[in-house]
Amino acid sequence: MIVLQNIEIGFLDKLFEIENITLKHGNLYVLVGANGKGKTTLLKTLIGEVRPFKGEVVINKKRLKEMSRLEKSKNLSFVGSKQQDIDFLKVKEYVALGRFPYTNLLGIKTLEDIEKINIALKTLGIIHLQDKFVNDLSDGEKQLASIAKALAQETDIIILDEPTAFLDYANRILVLNLLKDIAITLNKVVLFSSHDLDSILEQDAKLLIIDKVNKTLKDYSSNLITKTEVISLAF
Amino acid sequence: MAFLHLTEGQFDFDFNLMKKALFSFDSTDTYQVIFRDFRLPRLLMGVIAGSGLAISGLLMQTLFNNPLAGPYILGINSGASLFAAFSIMTGVSFFSTQFGTITSSLLGAFIFGIIILGFSLFVRSRISLLLIGVMLGSFSGALITVIQSMSNAFQLKKFTIWTMGSLQQVGFNDFPMILIFYLIALVLLVLMIKPLNTLVLGENDAGLLGLPVRLIRIILIFITAILTGVITAYCGPIAFIGLAVPNLVKLLFKTQNHSTLITGSFIFGILFMLFSDWLVQFLWNDIHLPLNAITSLIGAPFVVLLIIRKLA
Repeated sequence: MIVLQNIEIGFLDKLFEIENITLKHGNLYVLVGANGKGKTTLLKTLIGEVRPFKGEVVINKKRLKEMSRLEKSKNLSFVGSKQQDIDFLKVKEYVALGRFPYTNLLGIKTLEDIEKINIALKTLGIIHLQDKFVNDLSDGEKQLASIAKALAQETDIIILDEPTAFLDYANRILVLNLLKDIAITLNKVVLFSSHDLDSILEQDAKLLIIDKVNKTLKDYSSNLITKTEVISLAF
Repeated sequence: MAFLHLTEGQFDFDFNLMKKALFSFDSTDTYQVIFRDFRLPRLLMGVIAGSGLAISGLLMQTLFNNPLAGPYILGINSGASLFAAFSIMTGVSFFSTQFGTITSSLLGAFIFGIIILGFSLFVRSRISLLLIGVMLGSFSGALITVIQSMSNAFQLKKFTIWTMGSLQQVGFNDFPMILIFYLIALVLLVLMIKPLNTLVLGENDAGLLGLPVRLIRIILIFITAILTGVITAYCGPIAFIGLAVPNLVKLLFKTQNHSTLITGSFIFGILFMLFSDWLVQFLWNDIHLPLNAITSLIGAPFVVLLIIRKLA
């Protein structure tokens, strides 16, 4: 659970504020906003890379800034829009890196770790790719692998920065469906940013919209909203 | 390879004599003395230098996420070279008589190591650190040129020979200290396998997985500093091995698992070094080739060949 109360988001300048929004387990949230209005800054604030301009992020009843590095990595996982190229890294080794917070000083995997890695690979439907090199995968498969890594990290909260930006239509729908499944069946908070309004509205995910006029983040998780309304509010 | 390396040279040895020199040393037997004072130290130094440089190169390549990085990228060797130049060419008695070349270059490597570690405490980005290392190198390179322009022919020759690299400068008595540094580095290295495997993702993603990125960066630089510092002080700046061997190992083993990469760099670094030095000995009667020339002469085409085969 993420609680955002009286927070101002910004890096060098204040970008927008959040009055009172709570992100609950078992839900898929989508962050919508125009470019440069602070989507990425908000996501970075939530993973602790950027401090809030004012106020504090509370994650699972604990203040984010009081969490140790290891605590953060057991509560929050992050997936970027594109992974950097790494030679000779197998998919199963890549996903295994998600176990970092749990393995010992020498990084030796227990049977439990291996089990968790296999479950993550199966959930994303990429177990047949496990011995391939990440660099040989398609963009869609790469994105699935990095979501599998986040699953192996076993965090309550998964945050993704435009996970569908570089994907074709079929893969976009696939990723969105999987994210929704993960949120509901594994009871996690899944939050991602996206520009892809059509696919999002089809999925009826819960929308968080950065209101460009009032500079606030609005929670539309309980009311329905049309595409035109979203556009007039955010863009 | 080690046996081949031991036996090659201006004197011939057989196995019996080696055994005698080790277990029932007789200081009146010239052959035994040569074995104990020249051959064995040379072999040991080859093992340490070959593995140490290859591993340092691997650490820097992973830390900077760049296959062109090598053990000398942080400029630690230039500290050693600069102080060796002080010792050989300036005639400042402090450096030339009190210390001698080896101690001076050890001091230089140590001072430059401290400088770069100091910077790594404050500098946030890896690229800035890399640039500072390169600048340290350029700066001391320029100072060395100034010193050279004021030196006589004999001093110049002596310094140039030092820069060509040699495994023969080290004596039996130097090993306790060398081995202490080497073992400290190896122990730290075992603890770095997990962080290195995670660093492959880049510092940002590794940090989000809970890796204390700054601390790990400092430890990796520390390991590289003591390995390259000691090796450069005793052997001169041996080129190429640290850059080529880790890339070679990656191409051969096709993995990012650093326990494999470290073991591979260790073994191939030693093989490469001993083979090059064996070749120096083997050709000695016909032509005096410096070690640095050999490592690059046989190494460079070999790496190009591997890359072409990989692409084909």
